Amino acid sequence: MADTGRYKDLTFWVLLLLIFGLLPLVKTSSYQLMLANHILIWGMFALAFNMLFGVTGMLSFGQALYYGLGAYSVGMMVKYLGQSWFLPGIGLGLLLAALLSVLVGLLIIRVSGVFFTVLTLAFGQLAWQITFRWYHFTGGDDGIQGIIPPGILSDRTVYYYFTFAVVVMSIWFMRRLARSPLGLTLRCIRQNPERVHFLGRSVRLNQLGIYMISSILSALAGSLMAGVDYSIHTNMLYWTTSGEVILMSVLGGIGQSFGPFIGAAVIIIIEDVVGARTEYWSLIIGIIMMVMVILFPRGLVGEFRALRSRLRSLTVQKRG
Amino acid sequence: MDPSFIIAQLISGLTMATLLFLVASGLTLIFGVGNVFNFAHGSFYMLGAYLAYQTVSSWHTNFWVATFAAALGAGILGMMAEFLFLRRIYGRSEEGGFQILLTYSFILVIDDLVKLVWGTEYKSLLRPAGFSGSVHVGGLTIPTYNLAIIAIGLIVVVLAWLILSRTRPGRIARATAIDREMMNAMGVNVPFTMTLVFGIATALGGFAGALAAPLRSVTPGAGIEVIIDSLIVVVIGGMGNFWGAWLGALILGEVNAFAVALVPEWASVFSYLVMVLTLIFKPEGLFAARGVRKV
Amino acid sequence: MLRHKYVVVILVVLLALFQVPFSLGADEKIIKIGAIYPMTGRPGLYGLDSVDAAEMAMEEINSKGGVAGYKLELLNTDSKLKPDYSVRVAKRYIDEDKVHFLFGVVSSGVGLAVTEVSKQNKKIFIGTDHASTRLTVDALQPYYFRVSNNTFQSMAAGALYLKELKQTKPWETLAYIGPDYAYGHDQWDELKYNLDRFGVKYKVVGEYWPKLSAPDYTPFITSIMNDKPDILVSGFWGGDTVAFIKQAQPYGLFEKTLYFHPDAGGNYELMSATGSELPLGLVLGARHHLNWPETELNRTYVDKFYKRTGRYPSYAAEGAYAGIYAIAQAVEKVGNPNDTEALVKALEGMKIKLPEDPEGFTSYIDPATHQIVQVQAIGETIANDKFPPAKRMLGNWKVYKAEDLLPPKEYIEMKRKK
Repeated sequence: MADTGRYKDLTFWVLLLLIFGLLPLVKTSSYQLMLANHILIWGMFALAFNMLFGVTGMLSFGQALYYGLGAYSVGMMVKYLGQSWFLPGIGLGLLLAALLSVLVGLLIIRVSGVFFTVLTLAFGQLAWQITFRWYHFTGGDDGIQGIIPPGILSDRTVYYYFTFAVVVMSIWFMRRLARSPLGLTLRCIRQNPERVHFLGRSVRLNQLGIYMISSILSALAGSLMAGVDYSIHTNMLYWTTSGEVILMSVLGGIGQSFGPFIGAAVIIIIEDVVGARTEYWSLIIGIIMMVMVILFPRGLVGEFRALRSRLRSLTVQKRG
Repeated sequence: MDPSFIIAQLISGLTMATLLFLVASGLTLIFGVGNVFNFAHGSFYMLGAYLAYQTVSSWHTNFWVATFAAALGAGILGMMAEFLFLRRIYGRSEEGGFQILLTYSFILVIDDLVKLVWGTEYKSLLRPAGFSGSVHVGGLTIPTYNLAIIAIGLIVVVLAWLILSRTRPGRIARATAIDREMMNAMGVNVPFTMTLVFGIATALGGFAGALAAPLRSVTPGAGIEVIIDSLIVVVIGGMGNFWGAWLGALILGEVNAFAVALVPEWASVFSYLVMVLTLIFKPEGLFAARGVRKV
Repeated sequence: MLRHKYVVVILVVLLALFQVPFSLGADEKIIKIGAIYPMTGRPGLYGLDSVDAAEMAMEEINSKGGVAGYKLELLNTDSKLKPDYSVRVAKRYIDEDKVHFLFGVVSSGVGLAVTEVSKQNKKIFIGTDHASTRLTVDALQPYYFRVSNNTFQSMAAGALYLKELKQTKPWETLAYIGPDYAYGHDQWDELKYNLDRFGVKYKVVGEYWPKLSAPDYTPFITSIMNDKPDILVSGFWGGDTVAFIKQAQPYGLFEKTLYFHPDAGGNYELMSATGSELPLGLVLGARHHLNWPETELNRTYVDKFYKRTGRYPSYAAEGAYAGIYAIAQAVEKVGNPNDTEALVKALEGMKIKLPEDPEGFTSYIDPATHQIVQVQAIGETIANDKFPPAKRMLGNWKVYKAEDLLPPKEYIEMKRKK
């Protein structure tokens, strides 16, 4: 089973590197570059969320808080101090995300299940409300525009490869983490927290650790996004953004290594295709989500794998 | 601040609180008693408002009939949603997560359906006959409809409390939420109970929507707007605890009312702050009995 | 179970495809306009009206043979009020659909994000609704033009109205209530700036900032009544205005205080949503009125819209209508829709006769700010059932000259420095 796991991982890695790596060379418009860039970033965001929900079972409806934090760290640094502070802004975002996630985590990881979810929602909305109304400082509903990365990064293709590199490294890190002792402990916690506790491991500390890591990576995603659109908006902190990343994970397959990334790609492409043709995109996305949750809870990737092993076992039976 | 102003703010806080409570009551029922998180609760609130509007507009009934029709309609639609969709995910591991996702998708679908049927223009519902004026008590002006709402809110909370704690069906509903298998083993028709409770919860939501409609505009997107506030009330008051929800709403309403009077610049942040503080110090809610802190 | 699952998938895919009308575009000479409007939620009303009015304008022009041999075509995508999504849509319009113009938006947040794309890609963006003054002051870029007025112009007219009011009904105190975000705050700041500019003395006795789309205003109402302002200035829009007025009315607020709402108060959707519940004597302004000016052009525009859609248009529709005609006029002058720089020159200073222009005045686009300069009219609610389902419309008009309403140089400089 471990072998096939690594095999599937390899397929994904190859596809990821080929498709996204070569895109700038084969694209026919810079819109496609922006689309691919969005997919990379949302994909990373969804995978970061998946570490919390898919691996640990903690459903956070507030990851938008960190995503927005990362975006606003960059945006505000550039707005007040200038273009050259773009990269330090990313660093600041990571630092603030680490600090905030520890503080918030200590407060909310004391509870589980739906209570945890509701708390994450509360904190997320609190952050949104403050940013939205403190518009003299943050720009509020106007957002912040003109966030152009400095130096060679101001070229869209160069920035694309920069994002690509960061995202690839982050995904690699997350994969390693999932297979590390920490990852194993977290999966055990999800199944039976009491037992883990009796085994002498601190449930809370582990959960806090993963919450921190997930949040830091979410912030990184937000920071990168600021440099793609050249603008940010308080919408990035709103609970529906948290909802989108959850949707992407569910669609792709929670807990299925690269599922969320694929979910992100599918959602973004559908959004663009469907949004262009009909005003009833809400209905369509809602129906898709319902179908996924009821009939295909393992997500696209999970169901695809299940289908494949089923077909395989059928052919084996036939032979034997 | 002179005393008559304080009383005026107290009463307006109470009005606000009762509306909050009424909207949240259905969520308290389904979440606290039914153990199902219905993210789309706000959408049933919105449906109630539209159904009430349509009843008056098509059959020219009086307001109270329309409100009843709205509650009935929302209840039936809720039961259909539970029977056709929600039921399929009971018993799954991570059920809570899937509930949230499925009911979130309901929000998306219902929003567009409302737009398809009624369009995007704002609809309007008038206050019921006899309740469009106000009473004057010692220098204070209080709209009679507001008083009616406060009274209705109290009736709902008392009825709910009585039914849930003193009657057999109420106790069965509560027990089913805690342990479905056990209740099944004891001969209770669990699926039917769940559907019924869900229907009553959505009916409450629709009822609140119809009641609130004369005070607000009936617009698409209303579902998303109220769900967060309802959630805050339920969480502060404690899941499944109607008195808790009522008191929680009261706290929120009054905090808001006085924040508006004293620190108008920051009033909008207050309700989130109250929620966060409650959740930090007493995560199971201010008035809940069972604790939820884990290992 | 396995078989059933995949049947559902096929059905869903079919359903999705069925929803999706495929457009077959012939390669004639077409002016492509990429519109981005919110089609869902509260502002969905404005998006829907805008698209209907734009299509109406396009049909009028195309049926007369088009413009310089070109026909007009509109693409529309729901902005979902999401700036990051709208940016992607704008980019797709430019790169894939090869639009000649970007068009629309209701939310200023979306507008500011899209104007950035317009600037980067040198694509003309015609703003038809969003009113943040920033887009024609500090965020101005050469390819942006707005064909509906901004909040500064509305508030300047408001300040002049209040100045005149002192002659007939002397007042001293003001209170303000508006949604707690940029739009609400900007209006108040701009009103105060204009009151100071015109030398009007006033005393502020209360400022209130409910959340945007807050459902309950009761504590605010009782607080305002305690402050006893002579005039309550309001900065709400859409459903919030309706809710506030419905809730305040039984308190007798409107008998004790003059309700003054110069930017979005007089929007038709308020009148149609409140019917006879709407009190008389409220002083409201809007960016377009159905019953003012009583010119042939305005009457025809309103009647045609009603015949086409079965409802009367909100103010946003006129902005979209104006936008299409502005594009047509510019392309007519230049001869083709591809010479962007020439089109920019054509739009700057362009005079265009619009439904909201009274006799003897023609709207024009100020070359310095790319902002359309228009007359503003503020009126009082009076009984009028000529535009059902509304039972009140505005009347007793006070009209303000366009030139008096523009932001002065010092204001623009001050904003640009920030």
